[in-house]
Amino acid sequence: MKLTLTINGKLRSIEIAPNVMLLDVLRAAGYKGVKKGCGEGSCGACAVLIDGRPRNSCLTFAAQCEGSEVLTVEGLGTPENPHPLQDAFVRHGATQCGYCNPGSLIAAKSLLDHTPAPTWEDVKEALDGNLCRCTGYVKRIEAVLDAASLGKK
Amino acid sequence: MLKNLTHVHRPSTIEEACALLAAQDRKNVALAGGTFLAESADLTIQGLVDLSRLELGYIRDTGTGYAIGAMTPVQDVFKSPVLQGPSGKLLKAATGRIGSTLLRHAITVGGNLVCVFPWSDLPPALLALDAEVQIRKGIPKRTVPVQTLLERNPRDFLDRAELVTEIIVPAFGPGTGTSFTKFAKTANDYGLATVAVRLTLRQGLIREARLAISGATKRPVRRPAAEAWLEGLAPTPALFAEAGVRAAQDLDLTQDFRASKEYRSEILPVLVRRGLEEALRQVTA
Ligand SMILES: Cc1cc2nc3c(=O)[nH]c(=O)nc-3n(C[C@H](O)[C@H](O)[C@H](O)COP(=O)(O)OP(=O)(O)OC[C@H]3O[C@@H](n4cnc5c(N)ncnc54)[C@H](O)[C@@H]3O)c2cc1C
Ligand code: FES
Ligand code: FES
Repeated sequence: MKLTLTINGKLRSIEIAPNVMLLDVLRAAGYKGVKKGCGEGSCGACAVLIDGRPRNSCLTFAAQCEGSEVLTVEGLGTPENPHPLQDAFVRHGATQCGYCNPGSLIAAKSLLDHTPAPTWEDVKEALDGNLCRCTGYVKRIEAVLDAASLGKK
Repeated sequence: MLKNLTHVHRPSTIEEACALLAAQDRKNVALAGGTFLAESADLTIQGLVDLSRLELGYIRDTGTGYAIGAMTPVQDVFKSPVLQGPSGKLLKAATGRIGSTLLRHAITVGGNLVCVFPWSDLPPALLALDAEVQIRKGIPKRTVPVQTLLERNPRDFLDRAELVTEIIVPAFGPGTGTSFTKFAKTANDYGLATVAVRLTLRQGLIREARLAISGATKRPVRRPAAEAWLEGLAPTPALFAEAGVRAAQDLDLTQDFRASKEYRSEILPVLVRRGLEEALRQVTA
């Protein structure tokens, strides 16, 4: 079947099987920033925004996204022009191996879209579905609060 | 993976959706958030009927309570400005403990109820609130108590062409308090014993009590004997401790890698007592 959706602002039309997950479709289409950690909704490495909601792409049928707008980490910023959240993650050491970052950045971006001045607790809650095996959980909270305090999204 | 899936339908009306579910030539099933179906290996499923275009994502104040569309993500319940009072508090406390933020944006109210697991979080809250569900089969509809739906596996209770479309939750006036106590190994693991409580007081006495348990039995259940025993009595610490013991009696407790039967039977009375104490603190003037 044909799937038509917008990925990072670009309208795409992709041939898919009805039973595939959005995660696999995105990676096959070149959006390798979207990571597969567990494949069962537990780690958050696969998080993307679907029509503004942060969701696990590993538990979303690609067919659920007909007509949707999807944002992956590639749509957030570039190495030359990083998003303020990406910049803050680097400055605060909230990244080591980096595997969790695409997901946690998307979850953080969703938080700041709705809550521009979050509290520590708000950030903790917004990232509760994103595991990080390297940096621990304090640095990324500091990073998100810093990005928020710079008043940019 | 749904290996034999060949079709995904996107109906725009409930009538159309139910007609697709009734189809005899192919096995179609309803698709809500997809968090369960994505992991399903059911080889009999050939078609999915996506409910996302049926306009069933809403939370409304009805004057006597709330109407919640079956396709409402549980995150929207958790953050709802519409849901207030003792019912709102309990619904938010329960949905806020489901999985993680990412999962809560996908999991729907209807999916969490119909696809009930021993540890599901929303069903015990709905039981404690005497909630009802609206079920549609095309145009015909019926309204049944959540308790009736949960007496069997809801997917067996529902006809294959039926959809849960709405959950109706009464509001409770002054004198009511609620609480939700989920006991789990980590912040977002499944509950190994969960207790939802509603207490309604009148002139210092318990007029109505609801105790619902999840995580410890095959399906979430109410404890009617303990509830009835509380009614008409004055709330005291000793009464709540005794109610905890009674609520844990005669239960067919589950045993799994998270906890033994013995462990569950030890902690349940404590969780019920604490839940009652918290509900009493929450009683609104
Ligand atoms: C990692 C993980 C952790 C989780 N943690 C928790 C937790 O802590 N607490 C908790 O309560 N839940 C938790 N869940 C959610 C739970 O396990 C189910 O996946 C979820 O409730 C299903 O809802 P859904 O909207 O995604 O349904 P779907 O997967 O879309 O559907 C599930 C089933 O219900 C049927 N269905 C759905 N909606 C309707 C309807 N309106 N009418 C008729 N039939 C319908 C479908 O046909 C299907 O058979 C967790 C899930 C995952 C993956
Ligand atoms: S890969 Fe999706 S949550 Fe882990
Ligand atoms: S930086 Fe390695 S998992 Fe988070």
